Parts: sequence; structure tokens; C-alpha cells
Amino acid sequence: MNILRQIWIVSLINFRSIRLRLWRSLVIVVGMACVIGILLSMLSLTEGMLAAFLQTGDPGRALVVSAGSQSEGNSSIARDKARLIMDAPGIAKAPDGSPMADPGINSGVPVVRLDGRRAYNILRGFGPKGIMLRPEFHLVSGRMFRFGTRELIVGYAAKSQFKDMNVGDKVILPDGEWPIVGSFTTGDLLDGQLIGDTETVMKAIRRPAYNSVLVRLSSLNAFDAFKRALTTNPALSVDPIRQSDWYKKISEGFSTFFNVIAYGIAIIMAVGALFGCLNTMYAAVAARGREIATLRALGYSAFPVAMSVILEAAALSVMGALIGAGIAWALYNGVEGSFGSNVFKLTVSAALIGIGVLWAVAVAVLGGLLPSIRAATRPVVEALRAT
Amino acid sequence: MRYLPLIWSALTRKPARAVLTLLSVTVAFTLFGLMIGLNATFDEVAAKARADRIFTNPRFGGNGMPIAVARQIAAIPGVKVVTAVNVILGYVQDPKNQAVVVMVDDNVPKVFGDWGVTEELWDVVRKDRTGIVMSGLQAARWHKKVGDTFTMISKQMKRADGGTTWTFKVLAIGPDFPQNSNGYILGNYDYIDKARPLADQGKIGEADLLANDPATSTELAARIDRTFANSATPLVTITEKLARAGGDFAGLPIKPITRGIALAGMFMVLFLTGNGIAESVRERFAEFATLKTLGFSDRAVTMLVVLEAALPCVIGAALGVVIAAVLARQIPAMMPPGFGLPLPTMSPVVIAWAAASAFIVALLSAALPILRLTRMDIASALSGRT
Repeated sequence: MNILRQIWIVSLINFRSIRLRLWRSLVIVVGMACVIGILLSMLSLTEGMLAAFLQTGDPGRALVVSAGSQSEGNSSIARDKARLIMDAPGIAKAPDGSPMADPGINSGVPVVRLDGRRAYNILRGFGPKGIMLRPEFHLVSGRMFRFGTRELIVGYAAKSQFKDMNVGDKVILPDGEWPIVGSFTTGDLLDGQLIGDTETVMKAIRRPAYNSVLVRLSSLNAFDAFKRALTTNPALSVDPIRQSDWYKKISEGFSTFFNVIAYGIAIIMAVGALFGCLNTMYAAVAARGREIATLRALGYSAFPVAMSVILEAAALSVMGALIGAGIAWALYNGVEGSFGSNVFKLTVSAALIGIGVLWAVAVAVLGGLLPSIRAATRPVVEALRAT
Repeated sequence: MRYLPLIWSALTRKPARAVLTLLSVTVAFTLFGLMIGLNATFDEVAAKARADRIFTNPRFGGNGMPIAVARQIAAIPGVKVVTAVNVILGYVQDPKNQAVVVMVDDNVPKVFGDWGVTEELWDVVRKDRTGIVMSGLQAARWHKKVGDTFTMISKQMKRADGGTTWTFKVLAIGPDFPQNSNGYILGNYDYIDKARPLADQGKIGEADLLANDPATSTELAARIDRTFANSATPLVTITEKLARAGGDFAGLPIKPITRGIALAGMFMVLFLTGNGIAESVRERFAEFATLKTLGFSDRAVTMLVVLEAALPCVIGAALGVVIAAVLARQIPAMMPPGFGLPLPTMSPVVIAWAAASAFIVALLSAALPILRLTRMDIASALSGRT
């Protein structure tokens, strides 16, 4: 009888008898459900935030910040320097021949979270090219702010985290209350932010300089020429960076941080689940001692018997992982969350669920290995005699 | 005590099961310790937060505010003392190694003395203006000891000569405190500020102050905001008490998250221990019947089962909390620097919670088997009919 067939038959016998060992088997299922449920719930934050960051960056756009800046808020670009940057080669041209470039503002605005805690949201300034540069921008309700007026528009997701972020609400800036006249979506980080007219906002918050300049590259390959022109210009001390690379760079820190925490906690839990799995499988092997011995006496070889033990552990473990993943998905997938000022959708993706299943298989193999060896190597006669 | 041999023999009947259960419980309580320990640290920070300490920042970010703002705040009635704060953001050797030197003025020990920045510690900077004080965490991160040189590159904060390299002598290693879990590097504001180009001098990013009266500090904070509301630099001012009250980490609600994780761990072991004790009782049903025949009361039998369940839980909880305490010390080495999640502390409250949870898990695990035992029909149990 070939090995695969043997494995199949022995496993089938096992699975049919799981009913008799229901509670003990549930230890593995519940254990893995807890491990993977927690792991994926935590990773949904990293995954969602990372996705929002990477979505915001477009390789066809380049961001220019002052040299060494680690954030747009810390960057400062004087007006005359911004003009130099916008004249650089490699920038796409608008239909009227002007460069597709927009010097912007990025400021913190004190806001209140829905639960009353204090926080900051981000207020961006868009110039006349701000929207042309971002084809992903769509108004959802209300209208666009008018240039030169003290009006703001808000990303549709901001209201899921902060108070007073609806069309018709007012935001307090240094020169008084600014009404929110419209709500928009870009499908990325901007969905949580406020936007106003750059020049008017600068006047209000008394900023002499821009924070950054965003440009549309004339082609994907134009970045090198653009970068060379800026970095070799002695009048400028700036870092040009492809927008997609910028968001990759600024997301590295938090994604490592959260991954260390999420996987650290999950590893601890998985070790606990592993002991539970060992316990269950040893007991399962002991309970089926006679049955296994009978099979061995009938001529089944040791390997299929061992394999069937691991398969049983894996089936239970994966079942648990899928339950855990399902709970994490139901609770968090698509739910709007925030970290600091960043608003994004928590995400339990298929890839994350795949990671959960892999973990489950790994725990099952580790937890099933020793019991399976015991099952396969126990002397047949002794096992048959045992009660 | 006289039951101990009975419980011991019950546990050693299947040593593998006992050991694996204990290990599983230990791991779950390690997690419990880390999670609830983190809460304890947030609670400690909130409890130690002073009502009379007030932080004020520019309301709309930007490139800081003039130091004159700090002086104006100092003149507001009710303000005891103000320290001006600015930072040099830069890196060591590679832009990946971000570093921050916090520049503070001479009032810093008056405002932050209880955080460990004492007059004695700060005196070394008074005597050598070019020096810095590092906390133990930062000293470990940059491998510095007293007398070493710390060199940092800041493209954002240039020196008057156009250079971007800032070099400081490490004068002292200061204590770390949970309120600032990243550690700190403190330099002399006046000295560093004078090294900057004239146009950039006299800027601060933050002003921290003490109020005369903790009871009215919230009003004082509001008064400061009002005073500057129509100035060139509107401020956002908050008392330390309020800032630390939420148990908030960059907007993440730490308490529900950590409690959820700890609870999931407990649920996991509850299933395991519950199952183990149920099996153990099932296997020895006839033995329990014998005990009852011998005159053991229901209470005594209940006691036996509860203790059998509780022993691995309590030992596991104790071991787990000890391991958590050891692990907590390793966390700074494992985390990427700069996020400053406080370290878990195994306070008496954490230990009490762990003990209580261990007993609850034990009681819940034992509940169903006990129900079976108290309802058992001794005769049929003895004859093996159940």
C-alpha cells in the first residue's frame, strides 16, 4: 500500500474520532484562535497605516523638503527658493505652460478626539496646482474652498476620529474661525486631514515660508534630472525625493516598531499555545494507543502513523487560526483608526490571514512532532496490551 | 496541608500533562505581566504627573517661537519659574540613527528636579557650558561614558560657521524616568543658541513652567493661551496632569488594548487548564468515589479539586510575572529607538491582579468537574458504571 494512501486512511480514522476527543481538541483550536486573533488585530493597524502611507506616495510625483528633514512639518522652504525649485527641469507642464508644481503648507491644528482626548490634526495648504497634481482628489460633499478666503475642506475620514470635522463646522485658526465648506476623498492619508488655500493659511498662521514643494515629474525617468538640478544648485539646500520613496521612508520607523510589538506578543502567545498543542497531541496519541498499535500490526508503517498525528494537529490549528483571523477581520477590517495625526482604515488582508495560517501550521508541526514520534515508535505489543 | 500528598499524587499521575500545563500557564502570565505591567507604568506616570507643571507649545507648529515668549510667560501672575526648551534634530553617523539634543536653560532643575534633573546634576553643565548630560538609556544607545565626545550632524540646525556638525562632551550620566522612556540628552540652551547664525538665534520650541498653585494651574494654562491668542505665536498649553491622564500613546488607547491581549491569554489557558482538570477528575472518578466512601465531605473533595487546579495556576502566575520582569528589561534593546513606549513595571498592583486572575482561572477550570463530583452516585462510580 503506498504511503500517501496509508497517511490518508490513518488520518481519516483520526478525524472521524475527533468527536470523542472534542474538548481536548478544542484546546488547540481555541489556543490558535487567540494567538492569531491577537496577532492579526495588532497587524491590522500596521498594515492599514502602511497601506495609507504607500498609497499617498506616487512615483510620478516628487517632494522637495529642506535638507535633512524627516517630516514635512519640520521642513522649511523660503518663497524665493520655491520659485527656483519650480523652474527646475523634469517637471511636467500644465496646459498653460506653467510647471505642475505646488508649494505647500503642513501645519498641526489642535483638535479633540471623539473620546475627548487632545490631539493634533494636519492642516495642509493647496495652491492653484494642488488639485491638478492630485488626480485622486474628489469632492464628496459641499464645495471646494475659494482661493483667498478663510475656508477649509476636510477629508471624509477625519470625522471618524476627531470632533467638529463635518461640513459646516468651524476650525479655530489664529485669525478666527474658519468654516469647513466641503468634504473630499483621495483614498489615502489626506482623507483624515484639513486643506485650505496655502497663501491664506500662511497669513493666518504667520508662516513666512512654505514647508515643501510637490511637483509632477514630466515622466517617471525625469526624477534624476530634476534631482541633479536641485542638488547641484548652490542656492538651494534641499532634499528632492520621489514621493513614493518619501512615504516609504517615513513609514519605516513605525512599521518596524509595531511589527516588533505585534510579533513579540504573538510569539509569547504562540509558545503558550504550543505547550497546549503538545499536551493535547500527547493525550490524543495515548488515547488512540491501541488503535495505532492495531494499524501497525496490520502492516501500516511508522511514517503514516506519525504523519497523521501532525496532520490532525495542523487541521485543528489551522481551524483555530481561521477562526481567530475571522474574528480579527470582523472586528477591525475596514474600521477607521488613527495613530497620532494619521487617519487610516485598519486592514486584515488576505496576506495577513495567510501569515496567520502559516503560523498555525508551524505551531502544529512543532507541537505534533514529539507526540507523533512517540506514536510511531511505541512497541506494538506493549501498546496492544495496555488498557 | 494534609491534602498536599493527595494533590501531589494527582499532579504527578501524568507528569507530562502537569509540566506542559504549567509551562503554558507560565507563558500566559508572562504576557499578562507585560501587558498589565505596561498599564501600571502608564498609571504611575499619570499618578506622578504634577498638576503644577505646565507645558506650552506653539499652537500651529512652525519653526518655533521667540524666547521672549518664555520671558513674557514668566511675568504672568501665578507662574513660578519657566524653562525655555529647544531641540537639535539630527543624526549620528548615518541618517538612520536619529538623535535629539534637548537644549534647556538654567531653570531646568527647578522645573524638572523631580524627574532626576537635579541641581547637582545640572551643575556640571553650569561649569562646562559646552557639555551635555545623557540619561542611562541614551548613554547605552550611543555607547558613551562620562568624558566621551558625542558628535551629531544636523542639517536642519546649522552652526554660525555654516557647519552641520555639533560636538559635545558627555559630562554626566543622569537617571532615566518612566515619564521619558526614550531617555534624554540635555545641553545648554545659551551656549548652543549662541553657536547658531544670528538670524536663527533666540528661538525656542517649547516652554515648560511651574505654577505657584497646583489648584489653579488649569486656569493658568487657559490664561496663558488667552494671553497669546492674538499674538504672533498663539500657544497650546496643558498641565502635565491632564496631558498624562488619558493613558494615551499617540492616540492609541493603551488600556483597552493591553487588557484585551491579557484577557485573550487568560482565555487560552482557561481552556487548557479546564480541560486538564476535567480529564484528571474523569480518570480518577472511582478514586473520588472511594474518598467519599471513606468519609470525605463534598467540601473536602471540592477543596482537593480546586487546589489541584490552583497549584499550576499560582505557580505559573508567579513564574510568569518573574519572567515578564526580566523580559521588560530587555525591551529597550529590541525596540527601534525613538518611539518611547514606556517599560512595563511589575508593581504590587500587577502582582495582585496576576494572583487574582490565577485564582479565577483555577476556580473556573474546577467548576464543572466539581459539579460532577458533588452529584456523583457513589455506588455506580465505584462499580465503574459512569
